[in-house]
Order: sequence, then structure tokens, then C-alpha cells
Amino acid sequence: MSIFRLGDQRPPEPRRINEDVVERFEHVYEIDPAKMRTFPQQELPAWDTERIVAARWDHLDWMHAHFADAVLSAGLGSETMPEAEKPAHSAAPSPRDEAEATE
Amino acid sequence: MSVAFKSAVDDAVLDELRAITGDNDRVLPNLTSRVNRTRVPAPFPVHRWSEFMPDVAVLPVSAEEVSEVVKLANRLRIPVVPRAGGTGLADGAVPLRGGICVDVKLMNKIREIDLTDRTVTVGPGINMLKLNEELRPHGVFYPDDPASYPCSLVGGRIGTGGWSLLGARFGHTRDLVISMQVVLPTGEIVEIAEGGGRKLRKSSTGLTLKQLFTGHQGTLGITTEATLELVPRPEVEFAAFFAFDDYMKAYRTTGALTKSGLATLAGVVLFDEWKLRYLRRDDEAYIPQPGWVRAVVAVAMYGTRAEVEPASRRVMELGRSEGGKYLGDEISEGDWASRHDRYATPLHGRSRDGQAVPMSWHCEDAALNYSVLPQVREEWHAIVERYIDRYGIFDDWGMFAYTSGPYKPWADYLVEIDVGIWEQRLDDESWAGWVACKREIAEVALKYGGSITACHGATREGDAELVPSEMGSAWEVVKRIKRALDPNNVMNPGKQMLDEAYE
Repeated sequence: MSIFRLGDQRPPEPRRINEDVVERFEHVYEIDPAKMRTFPQQELPAWDTERIVAARWDHLDWMHAHFADAVLSAGLGSETMPEAEKPAHSAAPSPRDEAEATE
Repeated sequence: MSVAFKSAVDDAVLDELRAITGDNDRVLPNLTSRVNRTRVPAPFPVHRWSEFMPDVAVLPVSAEEVSEVVKLANRLRIPVVPRAGGTGLADGAVPLRGGICVDVKLMNKIREIDLTDRTVTVGPGINMLKLNEELRPHGVFYPDDPASYPCSLVGGRIGTGGWSLLGARFGHTRDLVISMQVVLPTGEIVEIAEGGGRKLRKSSTGLTLKQLFTGHQGTLGITTEATLELVPRPEVEFAAFFAFDDYMKAYRTTGALTKSGLATLAGVVLFDEWKLRYLRRDDEAYIPQPGWVRAVVAVAMYGTRAEVEPASRRVMELGRSEGGKYLGDEISEGDWASRHDRYATPLHGRSRDGQAVPMSWHCEDAALNYSVLPQVREEWHAIVERYIDRYGIFDDWGMFAYTSGPYKPWADYLVEIDVGIWEQRLDDESWAGWVACKREIAEVALKYGGSITACHGATREGDAELVPSEMGSAWEVVKRIKRALDPNNVMNPGKQMLDEAYE
């Protein structure tokens, strides 16, 4: 895929998640376009969606580091969705990577 | 658009203001400067914007300039409205009668960092995030952490008597301000502290005035300098979010956590069922959650690793004690980190036919005791539902209840119902409807022995009319103080029913 080819930047077709939400990129949720008639959805190239999602993770990592030297983790995954895959988030090493499990 | 001055501000006044500042660029009568210093993020009757504009904005750089502006205002009976970040949620910085907006953003310097006595002295125009970036190399921080952390300013935090997400551990603005320099409504520059020392946390000399000058909503003066608390930068942060199939289980878990006696507890947040439904629309953490997840409890701790690590094990036990299921490290840590900047929330809601529409955010902030949380939740949602049915331009975004007692997680709660308002569709009838809705919500808080506002201030329509009722027998004292300090009623007039002091 090339960021320079418009055709490569067209978002995939949406997959319905629930009556309000669709998904085009893994774990990136959007309002169902059928509910965006009053407030039209902006067309974004794929790179821009990925940039925004990555920036959000950077923002959260920044906030962690701003308030404390390290994040202590319980070392546990979800107990509400134990079969869920890990989200596609490949952050650079952050303070949370240094945390010890408490369980 | 041309709007006539609403107060006594005229060209002669503008000339005097320019002489005070010595800088024409800091006296701004142009339309853009006034339009942008009118509203705050709270819901606003946008169709009546021009009614609330100041006549001129002035950006002072010293207490002496502020003093001269206020003296001028007294001489000519011109309203003065202090404005820091303009990020408040209750219209404290919205001019009701035009006048001079004193915008303190240029007073944003750090004047002193004292690592021995653990204080930092700053101008009112500094932002807490920027301040903490400067403090970080010294291993200390100023732990005042509102939802507006990246954009609110110290002066506004003092004016509103702000609440901090970390208040159960470190205290709120009122507890973190050690002393301040204030320009009184008559223009005198005074030092306000616990007693006479700028860096003393506790004194019994004379009358303790500091509490009076935090949370006055800009009606008792303008803070021109503040000496603030410095705490050790936390070694670790621990956050855990638990999901429940039933609100009452979440509610009891909240009680168990807040009464646990864990000293590093910084905050506990209870999300109700309506909040979960709202989050399932747009929040990637909650969209995929199974349908049985109806309520959530979030808890966070800060401190040394030696304290937090063993305490975190107790938190995990308590979080599961009523059947709570841990939402996992990623959601717990990510959602907690997002809470330091809730003003970045995409502001849209749903119309009655389910369409996504732009909406502004009303954030209720009643102070209520633990025992009444379930009942207030039911009554508030019923009120909002009636107004949604009638007007169609509101949306119920659910409720949070946050620990609010400074250093006392077991104490009262800041109880928030978030309501979306489709401002572009507002007209006089629907605005009056919103005000009535707001008033009903506040009346429920009072009915259950609470307070209209834990931190935003009761400075807008729907709240202000109830201030005398809430103050009760203390209302006479409040009026006497206001009249004594502000004999000409120039300082943010019309707010909190304080005009009654002049009747």
C-alpha cells in the first residue's frame, strides 16, 4: 500500500458492530453513516485515520508519563471479554513496559 | 455587527485604559476580542451572543495595572469581569452587563520555586500542565487536576474553587493554594493567607480569609499572584476499572473502596447505566463490551511504589467483592489517562431520531453524600427525559459520581449528569426550557441535602436563583461581606444573586 496512491487510501467498506457503530479499521469505531445525515461524515484517507488513532495512543502515554514515573499494572487482561484479541496497538516502549505485575 | 457599549465604557475610558497599560495592544475594544471573551464551554444561548459581550478586554501584566483598572471601574461604575482561561462550566466569566473584561492570561510567569519549603509562586495566567512541565525536573508537582487540565489557568481555578480528579489524595484547589495576592473590588492590593505568612499552611492569627477568596466566582476580587503547594512527584500510578451487571453492586463497591482506608487512593468514579449506554455509542473501550456490563467503577492511586503496590492488591480484591469484573490493564490505564483532558471529548449527541448532531456539553456538578446517590440518579434522569421529550434538542449522556472530599475519599461526591444541547437549534423557548431543566436538577440536589455545585459555581440561570435558598441563614452574612468589599457592585455583578446585597 502506498500513501501516494489515492486508491490505496480509500477506507475499507464498513462492518456493522451494533445499531450505532460500524468498523472499517480493526478496533477503530465510527458512527453508522446512516446516522450522519445531519452532520455529514468527513472523508479521510486511511493514513489520516491511522495518524489520528496513533496520536491518541501517544496522548495517553504522554499523560501517564506526565503524572507519574511509572504505571503499575495489575498484569491482567479483560475479565469481561476474556476471548478478545489484544488491540492492534504497537506503541514504542513506554513507562508501562517497566511496570511489575501485582498478581 | 456593531454593538453599542452596554456600560459606561466610551472613548475617554479607552484612553484611560491605554494610559494604565501603556500599551494599546493590551486594550482591545475590537469585536473579535470581545466576541471571544463572552461565553465559556457551558451551554450558551448562542442566538443571544451579543447580549453577553464585554465592552472592552484588557490584558494586564501586573497587580498594579489590575488595581488601576479596578479603581477606574469604581470611579465610573463600570462592571469588571475577571477572566482566566475562560474554561469554566458555569458562566462565572460571562459578562452579564458588559464592562471591562480583565483577562489575566499574560500574567503567566513562575515567580519562585522553593524546594525547601515546598512552594511555587505563580501568576494567575499560568496553566497547570505547563507549570508541571517546569516542575518535573525538580521531582515535584502541583496536583490540581481538573477535566480541563491542559487548558484551564490557576487564576480561574482559584476563582471557581476548583475540584481535582486527584483530590481524594492531594486535595482540591482550595487546599493547594497556600496564599495569594488579590486586588479587591475597590482596587487595593492585599495579601490573603492562612495567617500572615505567605508559605504557611495552618494559622489561627486574625481571621482566616483564604477560604473566602477561593470560589467567589470573581465577585470578591482578582487574584494577581498565588503561592501553591508542591508535592513529591509520584513514583507510580495504578488504575483499575471494574464492570458490573447491576448499578447497586457498583454503588456498594464504590463505598467499599472509598472507605477502605487506603491512603494513596486518589479517586474513585462510579459510572451509571445511562453513562454506559452513552459510551457504547462512541467509546472504543465500551463498544465491544458484552451487554451485561451496565455500570463501572474506576479507581486510581498515586504514590511511592512501596505504598501503592500492596494497596493495589487490596483494590483488586475490593473491586471484585460485589461481583465486579476487571476490564483489563489496557482499558483501565487508557481510560484513566484520558480523564485528565475531558475537554477533548468530541461534542456530539443524538437527536430523537438517532441522528448524530453537534451538541455542547452541560456538566452538572452537585455535591452529594453517598447515601443519596441512587435516588438522585433516578430523579435526574427522569427530569432530563421529560425535557428531551418536550424539546427534542437535548440528550442524556449519563452520570458519574466522583470522590470529592479533600484527602477524604469516604466523604461526599461530585455528582455529574452530562446533558448534550443542540445549541444551533436554540431559541428563546428552548433556552427557557433548558434553564428550567437545570433548575429542577439543582432543586433535587438541595432536596437531598446537597449543594448545587461542588466546583463550577452557581453563577448561571437555573442555579443562581437557588443560591439564597442553599445558603440559608448564612445568606445575610454573604450579602454583608459582598457589600463591604464591593460597595459599588463592580466586580462581576449579577452573579449568584449577590445584587440582593444592594437592595
